[in-house]
Amino acid sequence: MSKTTGNTRTGFYICHCGTNIAGTVDVEKVVDYVSKLPNVVVAKHYKYMCSDPGQEMIQKDIRDQNLNRLVVAACSPFLHERTFRNVASQAGLNQFFFQMVNTREQNAWVHLDALASTEKAIDLARSAIFRVAFHKPLEQKKVPIHPGVLVVGGGIAGIHASLTLANAGKKVFLVEREPTIGGHMAMFDKTFPTLDCAACILTPKMSSVKNHPNITMWTYSEIESVDGYVGNFKVNVKKKPRYIIEDLCVGCLDCIDACVYKEPRFFDEFNQGLSKRKPVYIPFPQATPQLVVIDPETCIDFKSNKCKKTCVDVCERKAIDLNQQPEHKEIEVGTIIVATGFKPFDASGVPYYGYGVYPNVYTALEVERLINASGPTSGEVVMRDGSRPEKIAIIHCVGSRDKNTNLWCSRVCCLYSLKLAHLLKEHTHADIYNFYIDIRTPGKMMEEFYYRMAEEGTKFIRGRVADIYPDLTDEVHRRLIVKAEDTLISEIIKVPVDMVVLSTGLEPRADANDVRRMFNITCSTEGFFIERHPKLAPVNTFTDGIFLAGCCQGPKDIPDTVAQAGAAAAEALALIDSGFIELEPNTAFVVEVDCSGCKSCVPLCPYSAISYQEDKKKAYINEALCKGCGTCVASCPSGSIKQNLFEDEEIYSEIDGILNYTNIYEVSECC
Amino acid sequence: MLLDENKSQSGSQGWQPKIIAFFCNWCTYTAADLAGVSRIKHAPNARVIRVMCSGRVDPQFILDSFAKGADGVLVGGCHPGDCHYQEGNYKCLRRFQLFKRVVESFGINKDRLRLEWISASEGDKVRLVINDMVAKVKALGPLSLPKKFSEWDKEMNIIEEKIAGKEEAVHA
Amino acid sequence: MATDIEGIKSVTLETIYDTPEGKLIQSCIQCGTCAGACPHGEYMDYPPRRIIKMLQHGLIEKVFETDSMLKCVNCYACMVKCPREIHLTEVILQLVKEQTIIRLPAVPPELQKALENNYRYGNPMGESGRKRANWVTTSSVPVRILSQNPEPVDVLWFVESYPSYHPRGQDTCRALAKILNALEIDFAILGNEEKSAGECGMLSYESGLAEALVDYNMSVFAKYKFNKMITTDPHALDAFNYRYKLYDFGYEAQHAILFIMQYHDRLKPLLKKTLGYSVTYHDSCCLGRHNKFYDEPRQLLQLIPGIKLVEMVHNRLNSICCGGGGGGMWLDTYFKSQNMERLSDIRVKEAIETGADILAVACPYEIPRFEDALKVAGYDKKIAVKDIVELVSESMED
Ligand SMILES: Cc1cc2nc3c(=O)[nH]c(=O)nc-3n(C[C@H](O)[C@H](O)[C@H](O)COP(=O)(O)OP(=O)(O)OC[C@H]3O[C@@H](n4cnc5c(N)ncnc54)[C@H](O)[C@@H]3O)c2cc1C
Ligand code: SF4
Ligand code: SF4
Ligand code: FES
Repeated sequence: MSKTTGNTRTGFYICHCGTNIAGTVDVEKVVDYVSKLPNVVVAKHYKYMCSDPGQEMIQKDIRDQNLNRLVVAACSPFLHERTFRNVASQAGLNQFFFQMVNTREQNAWVHLDALASTEKAIDLARSAIFRVAFHKPLEQKKVPIHPGVLVVGGGIAGIHASLTLANAGKKVFLVEREPTIGGHMAMFDKTFPTLDCAACILTPKMSSVKNHPNITMWTYSEIESVDGYVGNFKVNVKKKPRYIIEDLCVGCLDCIDACVYKEPRFFDEFNQGLSKRKPVYIPFPQATPQLVVIDPETCIDFKSNKCKKTCVDVCERKAIDLNQQPEHKEIEVGTIIVATGFKPFDASGVPYYGYGVYPNVYTALEVERLINASGPTSGEVVMRDGSRPEKIAIIHCVGSRDKNTNLWCSRVCCLYSLKLAHLLKEHTHADIYNFYIDIRTPGKMMEEFYYRMAEEGTKFIRGRVADIYPDLTDEVHRRLIVKAEDTLISEIIKVPVDMVVLSTGLEPRADANDVRRMFNITCSTEGFFIERHPKLAPVNTFTDGIFLAGCCQGPKDIPDTVAQAGAAAAEALALIDSGFIELEPNTAFVVEVDCSGCKSCVPLCPYSAISYQEDKKKAYINEALCKGCGTCVASCPSGSIKQNLFEDEEIYSEIDGILNYTNIYEVSECC
Repeated sequence: MLLDENKSQSGSQGWQPKIIAFFCNWCTYTAADLAGVSRIKHAPNARVIRVMCSGRVDPQFILDSFAKGADGVLVGGCHPGDCHYQEGNYKCLRRFQLFKRVVESFGINKDRLRLEWISASEGDKVRLVINDMVAKVKALGPLSLPKKFSEWDKEMNIIEEKIAGKEEAVHA
Repeated sequence: MATDIEGIKSVTLETIYDTPEGKLIQSCIQCGTCAGACPHGEYMDYPPRRIIKMLQHGLIEKVFETDSMLKCVNCYACMVKCPREIHLTEVILQLVKEQTIIRLPAVPPELQKALENNYRYGNPMGESGRKRANWVTTSSVPVRILSQNPEPVDVLWFVESYPSYHPRGQDTCRALAKILNALEIDFAILGNEEKSAGECGMLSYESGLAEALVDYNMSVFAKYKFNKMITTDPHALDAFNYRYKLYDFGYEAQHAILFIMQYHDRLKPLLKKTLGYSVTYHDSCCLGRHNKFYDEPRQLLQLIPGIKLVEMVHNRLNSICCGGGGGGMWLDTYFKSQNMERLSDIRVKEAIETGADILAVACPYEIPRFEDALKVAGYDKKIAVKDIVELVSESMED
């Protein structure tokens, strides 16, 4: 301790957090112990340290007792470090003369043994008290925030966030991977619980995006790289060639008619393969932008170079360019909203439901297309074998709530299953059987919706379907038998039906891991992106300036998606409108007198922040480029690089504190 | 010289190992917080020191920890490819592999030093790793380097005194 | 695997919540998948779902008053589909079944007899132990018997009872001997020293029967030196890999089909004869659902020139049990008395439906069961039941 200069006067405060901490950690004992440590002037415990009275108590002590160091043992620094730094600075203390001890998340909440827990709290309190003595006053660097925003993904989440920001006058870049924006919602016929038509509420928003002066919309595009940090991101976007000159195409669709393929022959992605498309196509009539795409995988000219190119000839505006190359755009933005959505569970993952084996087994998304007036059958429920169903089974929870597939509840399947029961009944007058484990209808108007569906005569069977197979005794219809236990009457039932609808759950996108890495955010093991705090920061990520909206963060319905998109936009706006951002001052710097000029640090920095000054023969760190990982500090042979907030002395004193090293030393000295 | 010879040591009853854990801010520290939020109970022996990146962990920190009385040192960082600073964890790994051999050559059992990649979502892995490490270190017994150092100091003093005494005798 | 084994060893109905496997029942969501998946579910007063709830409520005694679990054929259908991965067939139901049979007023005579035979003669049919290796005399290739020639051997082939005595089982044996010989494998059998391995499950209610067989066979294994063990019987395979392991059985037993498949490069040129059959393969419960070997038997079939593979409606994970497992082999009369439809009858209907010439199997119980069911259906002239090794051997003839 002798190395610290001046008169160190430390205040120590431990929070009960109700009973969250005090229920396990003996806070009085901690205070008792700490009050006897050198440099400690005040040691107190209090019920809620982050509350106003708690904060005021600390500030009063700082002023009255002339404290110049502050240690608070409470929750995780991720939650309240900022709060207590403010407490310090408002009391006239440099905010970095503060150290926080994680006593809740990493102590009281994870240990059962009160004694051991208290001992741990004491060790870490001592460690922080030793450490804080070495803290230095630091200034936060302010950097301006670029007002532009990047929105990734043009589903309802991305659309809503973009419009909100654009209406607030911010410049938005919306990047969508598919040829059109709209996401999953564009595929639906009607939406629960109000049963309003998806197209009627979505397409106006889609065209507003297209026409908004503040929105630059790039469809059929991918993010290639993201550099920089909050306020100043540099993003590279690749626009894939759609082989159409966007400015010239007016969406007359003459080229589609003119294609040498007289009949559509290829898998139509938008219609889930229930219909075919040509190599030159538009995903659906209201696609936004209204531009055709040529698919190089199926276009003859890309294969053999021998096509007659009737499409090129027919286009009066000369908009088709089969030699188009990818375009690369570099943009600068200050904030990013990730809204990449979900992917439906692949129904063949539950092999005993026969998806892909029996043609009359459908996924819910396929049925959404089937009943859609602009879908492959113009809204007629005609099955793959040409017949119309008289009995339909809708199977809930396919791929959800199952350890063999996904353990989570996908939250929307019960409700969309009820919706499909209604719509299918309306379209076919068939008998509908809903097989469910539990019907989950939280949310406004949802239970009422369930009530109405039950009134319509949908039959509900409480049991998870165990098997689906064709009825071999039924020579004519070969109906599918759906076998389950009706658990409420404890009978095994076998219901013969014409059509099976699998209500597949919602999953993270297949490339969630790549996206996560690209944006330096985190995702759960299954692949949904993780919010900074589940309650208090639900749209923030651990990376400042990057926000989440929609199903990429977890399954949710459209109302929740839109609410979250609005929240993400508001958070981005708050940042932008504050004009600048204060960066953590944890950058590294070279103490030139000690630097031997060995250059070993130069290649280590991933941001090329370190350069070698030939004239002085010393290394130099560009503070603006340094992001403060500390890798160079750890590897400097002469120990001449230091990292603010993480100086060697600070960490050594933390070690000393944990191990109570000075004491041992004193003991051995004295005897 | 083998530092790790504790089987015979007395006074280790009721002893609890102390493990210093250097966790990177972005993955492993967050995972430890997640373990908390999910109330995943685990052994109370680890004391976490937060660093921004596992790349900041200077081998000297580890030596210092052992020398000052830690029974084990755990370093936690992001999975390969996931480091918040791109590749700090690789740098850490490279350093660690070299350093682990050094530590072993001192006679410190390899189970006392551990590097783990724990991502922000792996709250349960925090439990598994800490519990496993605590069990292993418990089996090894206390390392107690400070005590050993001071004993050696004493022995050295005695030897020196003896030598000095002999010399005096010779002179006399 | 290790935890499963420990689980089997230590869980009892009293200690059920003390083990990880037992604890899992607390997470049951009463979805009824198990009951719906069970081939005999509709005949049980307490199908698996209700058993779990009765266990949770401490009302399990009520279940023992019924014959519900006697009807369990150990087919793993419930277990593989349970969304909570509860170890139904492997642990929970075994325990309930054991108690059920102990408390049964009278064990069905057919089953009683089989168990007694196993005890007295080392095989459930009650054949003489001295005739166990008789099939060797009709083998076209020499088969070494360890008691006559105890030199160390690479592969010990555990023949098991049905293959040893049943005429169609013996066909399988001769076929396998021929294949092993052609592949130049150093192999041997135990001959008359061998006794039934015991069931794959815990049919140990006949007190000490399983233990007695395990002890006996283990003492025989100890006499000889061998590196690997193979068998054509998936039930024996599971007995060794799960149950015998608890008694320090130090080998990984392998099913003959998987063993042969390792040599497919060597085997392929030997398969000269084109067979020209349309074949449908029945996944046995132990080999398929329990050990997840769905592909290997099909791959072996496809190695044979001229074979066209067709699938039944229920296949792989969703296959239907032949009805022989869990003692079902000796409960046909009892099941009939309960007006239950025979599973082998249901199964062969699906085979008939495929139009295949051959119903291929990889478990010795299935040949007699399916042959009989085909006879009942009047299809025994149109579809032949063959073990996969028989087809392989047939293709080796030129
Ligand atoms: C069958 C079914 C029926 C449903 N019915 C209803 C209903 O009736 N009512 C209701 O409220 N909810 C319903 N839902 C839920 C609804 O679909 C979601 O709440 C909603 O679509 C979520 O919108 P999103 O923008 O988050 O995701 P998405 O709709 O998935 O949109 C994400 C967009 O991001 C794009 N994208 C993905 N990755 C990238 C990338 N790396 N780069 C660029 N772009 C990318 C995608 O192409 C897509 O356009 C239903 C869901 C299903 C499966
Ligand atoms: S399948 Fe599993 S979860 Fe469902 S009722 Fe049976 S045991 Fe319970
Ligand atoms: S193992 Fe098979 S027979 Fe036994 S309960 Fe489960 S599904 Fe039914
Ligand atoms: S930030 Fe976690 S290892 Fe670099």
